[in-house]
Amino acid sequence: MRFVSAVLSPGAGPGRLALGLILAAALSACGGGGGNSSGGSSGGDASTGELSAAAQLGERIFRDTSLSASGQQACISCHDPATGHASPFGTPTAPGGLAMDQQGDRNPPSIRYLRFNTAFHFESDGTPAGGFFWDGRAGSLREQARAPFLNPVEMANPDIASVVAKLAAAPYAAEFRQVFGDAIFSTPEDAYDRMAFALERYQLEDPEFAPFSSKYDAFVAGRATLTAQEMNGLALFNRSDKGNCAACHSSTKPANAPGALFTDFTYDNLGVPRNAAILANADPAFFDGGLCGSTRTDLAARTDLCGAFKVPSLRNVGLRRHFFHNSAFGSLEDVIRFYVRRDTDPQLWFSQDAMGNPVPYDDLPAALRGNVNTTEVPYNRRPGDTPALDDGEIADLAAFLRTLSDGYTP
Amino acid sequence: MKKLAPSFPFAAVALAAMVACGSAAAQTDPELAEQVRRLREELRQVRQELDALKARPAAAPAVAGPPATSVPAPATAAAPAPAAAPAAQPAAAYPATASTGTGLNFFGYGELSYSRPRNNASASTATVGRAVLGWGYRFNETTRMAAEFEVENAVVSSEDRGEAEIEQMYVEHDFNPSVSAKAGLFLIPIGLLNESHEPTRYFGVFRNQVETAIIPTTWRELGVGVQGHTDNGLRWNTGLVTGFDLTKWDPASSEGRESPLGTIHQEGQLAFARSLATYGALNYSGIPGFNVGGTVYYGGVGQHQPDFAAPDATLTLAEAHARWQPGRWDLAALVAQGRFHGVDALNATFAGQPTPVPDRFGGWYVQAAYKLWNNQEQSLWPYARYERLNTAKSYSGLPQGLAPDIQRDTRTLTVGASYYLHPQVVFKADYQRFSNDSSLDRFNLGVGFEF
Repeated sequence: MRFVSAVLSPGAGPGRLALGLILAAALSACGGGGGNSSGGSSGGDASTGELSAAAQLGERIFRDTSLSASGQQACISCHDPATGHASPFGTPTAPGGLAMDQQGDRNPPSIRYLRFNTAFHFESDGTPAGGFFWDGRAGSLREQARAPFLNPVEMANPDIASVVAKLAAAPYAAEFRQVFGDAIFSTPEDAYDRMAFALERYQLEDPEFAPFSSKYDAFVAGRATLTAQEMNGLALFNRSDKGNCAACHSSTKPANAPGALFTDFTYDNLGVPRNAAILANADPAFFDGGLCGSTRTDLAARTDLCGAFKVPSLRNVGLRRHFFHNSAFGSLEDVIRFYVRRDTDPQLWFSQDAMGNPVPYDDLPAALRGNVNTTEVPYNRRPGDTPALDDGEIADLAAFLRTLSDGYTP
Repeated sequence: MKKLAPSFPFAAVALAAMVACGSAAAQTDPELAEQVRRLREELRQVRQELDALKARPAAAPAVAGPPATSVPAPATAAAPAPAAAPAAQPAAAYPATASTGTGLNFFGYGELSYSRPRNNASASTATVGRAVLGWGYRFNETTRMAAEFEVENAVVSSEDRGEAEIEQMYVEHDFNPSVSAKAGLFLIPIGLLNESHEPTRYFGVFRNQVETAIIPTTWRELGVGVQGHTDNGLRWNTGLVTGFDLTKWDPASSEGRESPLGTIHQEGQLAFARSLATYGALNYSGIPGFNVGGTVYYGGVGQHQPDFAAPDATLTLAEAHARWQPGRWDLAALVAQGRFHGVDALNATFAGQPTPVPDRFGGWYVQAAYKLWNNQEQSLWPYARYERLNTAKSYSGLPQGLAPDIQRDTRTLTVGASYYLHPQVVFKADYQRFSNDSSLDRFNLGVGFEF
């Protein structure tokens, strides 16, 4: 503003004063634009930290074990904040069922940062993207939240009415009625829908589900520095000729989030080894096809998608106890080693046939093993080739990935 | 600019030659002398008409549109011959007399092209590159507004690649006959093209690369600007404007390599305005047919954004140019250099990515055109241009081995011709040879007009 005054001051008359006002208004407009813009870029509903009434109910439901048939299981049981809202269990899948003696088929995924996901869709080039669960079969967090309560190997309620009956007896039932109407429990389908809505609101609003509080976030904000090893790991992560991780686990900030999400919410077929520790795999005819089913049913005809599972966010990957949809690996270093040596040393990962030869991609039927991604770095190798990363680089990359854990304090 | 000279010896020599020869040659050139004589005569007539109008009772608040010197681009003050190419083109091609008596003027231009890569004919494309409609309104003798609406690539929708934009929108006021100011969204006075970018005013089916990749033509900002000129041909500009937004930098995209500033410009759209920028430009056009000038721009690009690794980052962009039109010749040279400061911590977060923020970027070009033939309104101008540029000359903030390799300079030779059917209607054809990547070599056709 001093600049304008200086320009206008020599011989300023009424006309010049009027122009000065115009110029001042223009400068004010510049400031106003910036304000709007910065508001638009902050993103997320969590900035205030104040949860809506529905979200507060969602939090209580999330933690309520009384809503399961066993009385021992809640959402939080499988999505533990201590592991980035992923599975806390030492077993590859979660225990569940009426007597907590059942086992699920898949590794409970982290549910953090899902507020930035979309409904399942095919992109213009045919790439499947979006959706919730490992196979994207739920179109929203609200739809996703409906399923575990009725899954016989999870919370194992026989029907919606039984869940709503438990809800109506919960300590927060009065608040539930207050928010959704006095008569809400008289129409179980509506009450069940509102329960899912409350869970969705909780996940959308509570900053705990998208804290962006990792060392990496502090680094990106200019408040922390990475060690030389972590820096090298970051470079390996991004480099298209080395880890090429960022090709799917995007390390750049998308338009709809305040920071990088380390996923593009697409699907990939990695040819992950079969995990014998999953009970269902005792049946040699059983294959978890991911997008093509059998849990998901609408894409059964798309056999080209068999074996494709959602690309998860790598935020908090350092906190996880198991990796991939079938928990085939138990350490971050092993996961990276699998990525870079899957095809150079298949004997390290896959079962053997009668002749003692490895059977690559043994968690897919033989006819569908051609679906596995073998073209992109670092998978574009053959037996005997040099892996894209050596052991030192694997350690560097793992060190970087551990900077993605939320809750960093300098 | 002293710093730039060693990097661009060719351009420096060309500039020096023009400065040395400009005066004598221009003054002895009979054609230019005749032009000046005619312009003086026209000016005298215009003054007489203006005096006559002033003498009448004021029937309407405005009787004529904004002067061509300021709407939409004050090109006539910037360059010796705003009719860039054709000497026969009227100095004020638009919009002064379009709607005399209403106070409202319309003006515009169109630019259409066909491009065929030499080694990949299947990649040939044709497009309505730009369709522009502008309007100006004169409130009284000293205050006016102008605005320009542009559609790029014909169709704008979520699934198309076109853009619709307000390219200029400002109010301008004359303090006196030699000093004026503007406020709003306006073009930065830099280079030969930015303020004078209509297709009839430059050679080449496409705008030159230096004034596209280094200077992000058409570059406009929101703010206030003041400009003036002296009787001996000096023009000066200065202003306080919005700047770039470095938070938009995408290290995974190639856009930052194609145009470091083009990828972070704000274009008056909800622009971050925490950090403002300033510029200063000086042009000398005191000798008919000759112009030399330069611009320095400096401003914040980090916009003091929280949770951003380079909140205090700044940009300096400096440019110098010269243009000389002796006889049938039209010669031009330009050099531009940009520099980001304070991006180390941000670049560290881009380790391994293909496109960190460069420390330095820049380039230069020399261009010659010759009026081979003319007949009344028509003329034919063969031209040649050589340019050399690099959008990323160095990086900082990345440990050794973690930065991408520095690419070789882009070197491009453009040879072609402009045929003016009318001073405001041009057909162009040229061939571009890219020395460091022959797969980009291409043949181009274009048609353009302005009114």
